[in-house]
Order: sequence, then C-alpha cells, then structure tokens
Amino acid sequence: MDFMHYQPLWGEALLTLLAVLIVLLGSLMKGSGKLMGYLSLAGIVAALGLVASNLTAKPALFFFDTISVDALSQFFKAVFLIVSLLVVIASLSKYTGKGADEYYALLLFATVGMMIVSSSIDIVTLFVGFELASLSTYAMAAFDKTKKNLEAAMKYFIFGSVASALMLFGFSLLYGMTGSTKLADIAAASLDSFGPATVVALLFVIVGFAFKMALVPFHMWAPDTYEGAPPLVSALLAAGSKKMGFAAAFRVLLIALVALRLDWYMAFAVLAAVTMTLGNLAACWQNNVRRILAYSSVAQAGYIAIGFVVVGAAYGSAPVNVFNLGAWPADQLGIAGALLLILGHALMKTGAFIGTAQVAGMVSASSQNDPDDISNYAGLASRAPITAFCMLIFMFALAGIPPTAGYIGKFVLFSSAIYSGLTWLAVIAILNSALSLVYYLRIISYMYLKAPVGPKVAEQKGYVAALVITMLAVVWIGVFPDGFIEWAGAAASVLLP
Amino acid sequence: MIANAISMMIAIPLLGAVLSFFAGTKAKFVALLASLAPLVLSLQMYMEFDKTSKIMQFVESYDWIPSLGVKYTVGVDGIGFPLVLLSAIVSILVIIYSWGETNKPNQYFALLLLNEVGVLGVFTSLDFFLFYIFWEVVLIPMFFLIGSWGGPRKDYAAIKFFIYTHVASLVMLLAIFALYFTYQTPEGGRTFDMLTLLAATADKTIFPTGLLNIIFAGLLLGFLVKMPAFPFHTWLPDAHVEAPTAGSVVLAALLLKMGGYGLFRIIMPMLPSVDKAFVTIIAIIAVISIVYGAFMALAQKDIKKLVAYSSVSHMGFVTLGAVAFTWMSVTGAMFQQFSHGIITCVLFMSAGTIQHVVGTRIIADLGGLADRMPKFAVLMMAGFMASLGLPGMSGFVAEFMVLTGSYATLPSYTMFVVFLSVATTAAYHLWAMQKAMFGPILKKYMNVHEPHAYELFSMAMIIVLSLIFGLQPGLITDMMGTAATQVMEPVMTLTQMGVTGGVI
Repeated sequence: MDFMHYQPLWGEALLTLLAVLIVLLGSLMKGSGKLMGYLSLAGIVAALGLVASNLTAKPALFFFDTISVDALSQFFKAVFLIVSLLVVIASLSKYTGKGADEYYALLLFATVGMMIVSSSIDIVTLFVGFELASLSTYAMAAFDKTKKNLEAAMKYFIFGSVASALMLFGFSLLYGMTGSTKLADIAAASLDSFGPATVVALLFVIVGFAFKMALVPFHMWAPDTYEGAPPLVSALLAAGSKKMGFAAAFRVLLIALVALRLDWYMAFAVLAAVTMTLGNLAACWQNNVRRILAYSSVAQAGYIAIGFVVVGAAYGSAPVNVFNLGAWPADQLGIAGALLLILGHALMKTGAFIGTAQVAGMVSASSQNDPDDISNYAGLASRAPITAFCMLIFMFALAGIPPTAGYIGKFVLFSSAIYSGLTWLAVIAILNSALSLVYYLRIISYMYLKAPVGPKVAEQKGYVAALVITMLAVVWIGVFPDGFIEWAGAAASVLLP
Repeated sequence: MIANAISMMIAIPLLGAVLSFFAGTKAKFVALLASLAPLVLSLQMYMEFDKTSKIMQFVESYDWIPSLGVKYTVGVDGIGFPLVLLSAIVSILVIIYSWGETNKPNQYFALLLLNEVGVLGVFTSLDFFLFYIFWEVVLIPMFFLIGSWGGPRKDYAAIKFFIYTHVASLVMLLAIFALYFTYQTPEGGRTFDMLTLLAATADKTIFPTGLLNIIFAGLLLGFLVKMPAFPFHTWLPDAHVEAPTAGSVVLAALLLKMGGYGLFRIIMPMLPSVDKAFVTIIAIIAVISIVYGAFMALAQKDIKKLVAYSSVSHMGFVTLGAVAFTWMSVTGAMFQQFSHGIITCVLFMSAGTIQHVVGTRIIADLGGLADRMPKFAVLMMAGFMASLGLPGMSGFVAEFMVLTGSYATLPSYTMFVVFLSVATTAAYHLWAMQKAMFGPILKKYMNVHEPHAYELFSMAMIIVLSLIFGLQPGLITDMMGTAATQVMEPVMTLTQMGVTGGVI
C-alpha cells in the first residue's frame, strides 16, 4: 500500500486511531481523563495542521472514487476541526474525571464522521460518515446523565433517526433509478425521465437534510436538544454537526441533483425565508439563553440556506464583476457567502455555548433554578468579565455588526442574492438581522446593565482560553476578510462546472 | 505638518480607552491625557488648515479590504473639521466635568474615550464602510453610559435608544449598499469611496431618479433620526432624561451632530438629482422640529427634559438652513451645529449639577438657588442666554444667519419659525431660569453650596468659547463658507440662485 498516496487522509486516520487508543487506554488507566483530553487536543491540532498545509487542495480521489479531497472538503474539515478543538479546550475544564475517556473518544469519532461527510462523493460513504457523527453525538448529548440530558438526547436521537431514515430512503430511490451511488453518475443520469419517483426522492433527501440543518418546520428538536444537552455538547451540535448537514446538502444537491434545481430552489427560497423569520421571532420570547441561542441558530440556518437559493437561481450564469474580486459567477459567490457564514457561525456559536457553560457552572452549585435562565446572566460583566466581554462580541457578531465574522459572511451572502436578482430575499434577510438584535441586546443588557446576582467568580481556565481564542478569530475574520473570501471562493468553485 | 494627524487623533483615545479600562481609579488621569491629544492635534491642524481650499485636507488612504473595495480613507474639509474641533473640545471638557465620578470610573472614562473615537471617525471617514463602522461604534458606549450610569428607567431608555437608532442605521446601510451595488468603477470593480459615489449620483445614466429617490430617502431617514427631527425624535427625551450628565452632554453636543454632518456631507450633494418634493418635505420637517421642540420645551417640568426638547428645536435650524440652499443659510446651519454643540454642554451640565447638588430637577420644586450658588448661577444664566440667542454669543449668529439666509428662498417657512418659535424659545429659557435660580430661596435649600471647581471650570470654558465665536465667528465660519460654496455648486446650477451672503 502506498502510504504517501493517502497523505491527504492522514488526519482522519490519525483521529480514528487516537479514538480507539483512548477507548483502550481508558479501560486500562482509570482516572486519566485529563491525559485523554490532552491527547485529543494534540491529535486535533495535528489534523488541523494537515488540513491547513493543503487548504486549496487540487481534487484527488480515493477509495474507488468515493472520497474526494478538494478545496471544499478542506474548508469544511477546517471548520469541524476548529470547532472540535475549541470544544476540547473548553472540556479540559469539565471532563477530567471518570468516563472522560469515553467523552473524548466519542468527540473524536464524531469529528471523523463529519470529516468523512465533507469529503464524500458517494451517497453510501456519505451516509456512513453521517451516521458515525450522529451516533457519537447522540451518546454525547446524554453524557452528564441528568434528566434533562436524557430527554434532550432522546429527542435528538428519535428525530435524528427519522431524518436518517428519510434520507436513506431518498438515497435508495436515487440508486434504484440510476443504478449508481456515485454523485457524478447520478448527475449524469437523466433523472427527469423517471417522473414522480424523482420528486419523491428529492423530497426525502431534502427533508432528511433539513432535519439536520434545523430548517423550519423540521427544527423542533433543536431548541430542546441544545437546551438539554451538556452545554459543550450543544456547542458541538450547533456549530459542528449542524454544519455537517450543510456539507452533505451542498454535495448532494449541487452535484448529484443539480439538474432538478428548478424543483428545489423555490422550496429552499421559502424554507430560508420562513426559517430565518420564525427563528428570530421565536428567539425574542425565550428566557432560557440556550434556547435563545438555539433559535438564533435556526435563524442562521435560514440565512445560510440562501446559498442554495442563489445557486438554484443563478446556476451556470455568466461571470459578472463582483466587488473587486474580478469576474465571478453569482452562484459561486452564493456558495462562498454560505461557506463564510458557516465558518463564522461555527465560531460564534461555539463561543456562545461555551459562554453558557461557564455561566451554568457558576450557578448550579448554589441555586435550584434553571442554570441557563437569563436572570443568571445579570451582572455577568462584573462577575466574570472575560466571559461577558467575549459573549458581548459573539452577540454583536451574530447580529451581523461589523467588523466581525458574522458581518462578512452575511455581506457576501446577501450580496450574492442581489447579484442573482433575488433582492427580495436579501431584504428579508437584512430586516431579519435587525430583528435579531432585539434578543441579542437583551442578553447584553442582562450581562452589562443589571445588578450582579452573585459575587465575582474565578472563571474556568479552559473555558476562558476557548472563549478568547474564538473571540479573536471572530474579530480577525471580520477585520481581514480578504483571504477568507478568496478561500471560500476556491472551495465554492469545486461544486460548479 | 503632522503626519497622519487624523489617524493619531483616532488612535490615541482608542488606546486611552483600553488603558483607562485597566487603570482603576487612576482612569481619569489617563482619560485626560488621552483626550488632550486630539485637542492639541486639532488645534495644530487648525493652524495648518487652508480655509480657502475646497478639497479634502489631511487625507490618508490605505487599502483595507481590497476585494470588497474598502479603503481606510480619512480626511477633513470645512464641513468635517469644525466638528472634529468640536469633538475634541467637548470630549476633554466632559472628562474634566466628570472628574468626581466614583462609580466604576475606569469603565466610565473608557466609554467616554471610545465615544470620542467614534465621533471623530464619523466626521473624518471618507469611505462609506468605515463611516458606517464608526457610526455604529458610537452607539455602543452611549448604550452602556445610559444603561449603567443612568436614572431609574435606564434599561428602557438604553434599549430604546439602541434599537431606534440602530434600525435607522440599517436603513441607511441599505441605501449605502444600493449606492455600492449600482456604481461600477471604470475598472469594473466596486468601491465604498464616499466622494466617488456621491459624485456618481449626479449621473442619470447610472442612478435613474426613481432609484436615487429611494436611496436618498434611506440615507435621509438615517440622518433625521440621529438629529433628531420630528417625528423621529421620540428616543431623545428618554435617552437624555435617563443618561448621566456626561452622557447627555456627549449625546447632544456630538451624537446629534452626526445627523447634521450627514446632511451636509451626503444629502446635499444628492439633492439636485432627486425629486424636488424632498426639499419641501425636509423644510416642513425642519420647521415643525423648531416650533414643536420649542413648545414641548415650554411644557416640561423637568429641566433636563426642557433642555432635551430645546435640542430638537435648535437642530431644526440646521435642517432648515441646509435645505434653504443659500450660501448664508448653509454656512449658518454649519455654524449652528458647532454653536449648539458647545452651548448645549452648559445646559446639560447645569441640569446635571442641579440634580446632584439639590437632588431634583423638577423646576417647580426649585427656587432661589442663585442665592447659595452665585458663581454657578452666573454661568448657567450665560449658557441659557447663549441658547436663547443673545447677540454677542454664538447661538445668535448662527440662527440669525439661518433665518436671514432662508428668507431668500423659503420666506413662508421662515416667517412661521420667527413668529412661533423665537419668542417661545426666549420664554422657556427665561421662565426656567427665573423659576429655578431666582426668587426667594426655599428653606430646604439653605445648605446648598457651590458645585465643584472642575464643574464650574468646564462650564466657564464653554461660555468663553461661545463668546469668542459669537464675537469672532469668522474664526470658524471662514472654512464653513468655503465648504458651503463647494456644497452649493451643483445646487446652484440647478436652482439658478444667486449667492447671498458675505455679511460677517
């Protein structure tokens, strides 16, 4: 076997081996949770280094053309690895005792699953990666074994399984019609000739993805799960596993099913508009911060879905001069915008959920009420100044205030809608951004304007490290977005003819 | 010639804000030093400023986000520079006035400095992207100043202020995007460059009138809310009443000027190309603001709310002067911005001092304070006289110029203002003064004493400035006049109006 040939996949291999090793070591050495955490950290950093050394990879195919390493897969892998890295750093402050080895092993398996999804160009490989990530996160959602955890995990599991089943059924129809599981072959077959079966297949595939992406009306599980799961796992779910849905949907819809784009793009236009509006409205009425973040995450999924609409509307359009980037087709700009927002949102949400973990840790010791209730955030600025400041930046970034990562993603994405003649969608999205400020501002006003509900506390070192790194990254992307825009553009071009 | 004067002016208070935050109780010294730098720099710039030049001066331009056409471009001309000077003066005086702040002083002074960074940025940015960022930056310190140091209903006032003005900013942002996405540079790219985009709005083939009307309306809304003009003023009384004194001063003296600055910098160059109905609409809004503000002030029980409504009225003169299109009215309106900026400081400082010396701001509960605090009474009286337009002080010159200049083109509106508001303005100022400060002293106020020296010092400095600029308005109106000529050029070719002026 040519070892060097597989060099682009060493990251996945490394993390898989590491996960197995951690499980083995964990059963031999009790109470070595901290060590496992550092091992995972080292593994993820190494994998991230591998991805970073080859960011805009030339497409290379592996394993009988089922895995492709290209700029798009590298982009998503970078996002997933960064999220996992941040979660691991934060977890070093929480998961150190008994059972921590399982936690880190599951986290690594989930990461590997997501990485496989981002590289898959075959629906079976894609499904395997999808399930690897899903099954690992189902277990993680119940990891603290509180009553809330179990409820959250149960909901997540049931909805997730149904979504997987629907998706698999859609895939089986595609396979039945075309005789191939490869995305390229499915694209080559003239799907239109199969009549209603095509529509059914399309419907199942979209609904399956929509569950994972938490688009309205398939979002009901998200607030319950993000609220009930351990906060660090919520970070992984909202920032990582949800983005996996987008990674899969990009590949399947834009490569395999692009011939049917006229059928799916209006569906996505409606889904996007409804999702962002409903998500933002619902978030305004919540009192639980993690539910607010969950609904905000639903709304962000609505923004990101604009990317699909733009591609559907402008697929194959002639390049136009966009900004000062030279000639780009509008569809490329749309995908690039969606990718930028995925990157930005992954960072902002990871940070925000780690912030809630910090607060929940401050409360649960002393009080009986809901640790995520917004009243616990009163006076956070004086109780935990670093956490409060980072949360402040994340809230502004989520609302899309410049110069932050949230702003640049929205800017490129909404611009692409304008370039492809979807000004109405861009206007709805911008109005939604204004609306979202209501609930972000509410959290800020609790943190900074209300009298503190308790004394100053020592902030957990791991949380603080993760928060500060994330905050700096969010600001960095916003202030120097040039390289990121070009990177996202290169990744987007993989999906286009 | 100082290299990078504007960037330094923005960077030093920003650095000062960070240092103040970590300086604990020493924050006020850091803040004083950090706010001294922009003052010194702006005075130096004043010496070097070419008052007859119509082009931007002290320009700095660097690429920031080339792929989006965003540049870091700053520069000043006769429109921006007086406001830069105003920001530098007001910021340092406010910091001196707040010398005794003991509640979280590090954050307090850091926010005041951050605010200075924001307004200086707004008045100097020549790139729409940069302009918008500074425009938003200003909201944040003010939100916290109101929300953390404010009165009883501070949460409500802070959030109302933020959401109201942020929504208006977003409308403005949409309009900026429309400009950005419509105009293509000769190289086929996009640019946020303010002067390029504004010059392009005159070209009907790029910006058809219908589109430009919508863009114009969006920008106008953003500025009118900030000014604030009737009927978009409702956030102002709440914000002012709840804000701490320094917050109110900065809000009235600097933040409102951002709206007026937008009128001159962005709205006026576009006026010749848009529907003429806008002129009527803006003139009506201006007149209603002047008259309505004055009458509302007359009806207030709280002296601070009275001053807040007087701001609405005074800022109406800026709008009226801008839209009246004569050289004198435009120069006068620019001068009114500067003049109101300094005078309003004394009014809010007076209200704040009364509040913390006496414990109430309700005019009916006050009386005879001049007996116990004569120095303060003199300064407050001088401030109120300046505000009501006493000849010899800057407010008179500015409003006189606006009214005289406007009479040439908008006689009916002007007469309406003269008849309904000039007397009312005098009435509410004198009535408040008489009721609060003079008359027999109430028994419960026998122990009241003069405020701190630093408070009196700040107020006295402003009175002196108001006198200087009232007697020698040419010090600052020269450059404003040049800028007015510059702004008027496209307008005049359109309206065929002759230049009146040259009075001062």
